Amino acid sequence: MTDSDHSSAEDQALVKAAQKGDMAAFEELVARHRDKIYARAYSMMRNEEEAIDLSQEAWVKGWQRLSQFQGESGFGTWMTRIVINLCLDQLRKHKRQRTESIEEMNEETGGVERQMPVITTNPTAGLERGELRQRIDRALGQLSYEHRTVLVLHEFEELEYKEIAKVMGCSIGTVMSRLFYARRKMAALLADVKKENWK
Amino acid sequence: MEYQEQLKLQSYLDGELSEAESREVAARLAQDADGVALLAELRQTRQTLAGFERGVKLPEAREFYWSKIQRQIETVERTPAPVASIPLLARLRRFLMPVAGLAVFALLGLVVTHESGGDSGDTSAETAMGDSGAFTYHDYSAGATLVWLSYPAEDETANSEDPDPLD
Repeated sequence: MTDSDHSSAEDQALVKAAQKGDMAAFEELVARHRDKIYARAYSMMRNEEEAIDLSQEAWVKGWQRLSQFQGESGFGTWMTRIVINLCLDQLRKHKRQRTESIEEMNEETGGVERQMPVITTNPTAGLERGELRQRIDRALGQLSYEHRTVLVLHEFEELEYKEIAKVMGCSIGTVMSRLFYARRKMAALLADVKKENWK
Repeated sequence: MEYQEQLKLQSYLDGELSEAESREVAARLAQDADGVALLAELRQTRQTLAGFERGVKLPEAREFYWSKIQRQIETVERTPAPVASIPLLARLRRFLMPVAGLAVFALLGLVVTHESGGDSGDTSAETAMGDSGAFTYHDYSAGATLVWLSYPAEDETANSEDPDPLD
């Protein structure tokens, strides 16, 4: 396959070529999906450098496991699962290293989302795209990793509750309550509602 | 509104309920303003997040990013698979077993040749009855005695069915 063949080939053909050791075909796949893989890592990690490192690691793993790719899902989807697993491992390591504050623990178990006022207006209406992205970015950064991950897996990866439970190693009930909390807190953060205004 | 009802409302939004449950929730919503407001908020958050990742771009040039991946792939492929460390005794045994076998075979050959010749009384070979693994060779003319212990010893052979620590 020549370079021009690579750029015009479909993912499936590139994967087949890469499985036979064609590194240039793999490079084309990286070029096509690198933003998506990085974005997923960034959504989960909230750190540019870590997201770059983990996305690279995912590509190396992808190359090593290429023979296992059977094409049941798209190549991009397969790669995002690899990067998600790497991010989860990394986040678990972080979690073991840090001590949770009492507030965080209460938020995990206390159902504080029930005290949050319901946001009735669209807090992001009229915002420029860049501004909106920044605000979402900041809000995501204020969630705990468990809440953020559930939100990312549901909203961006579009996984069902049971799939999220499997990936995260928790019950469906936990997924539901974490997702509920994450959404409610996001709504409050996006609307810039202060905690003292909660019911 | 009870917490479980709130979670059910969320499941309704996410299409996680059965048809019958969905109908039930929809009917309840017709008389529940709080539920409607909460559902609207959850839906709003979902819509706000949609497309967020599409705007995130990798902050590195294609060539630079690929060169790092390529280097890592090459490094990984060059690195041989890790070999489990083999205990010294096991390594020694692996080396000695065939050597010992060959040595015993050679000695037996010597003895047979010697005995069939029958022209000299200054050498002898014997097997100790108490230990079939021990073999003694005397060369009286040279004043030398060689005791050969075949390896592994019988008691060790009996344990050879123990799982190999390397497996």
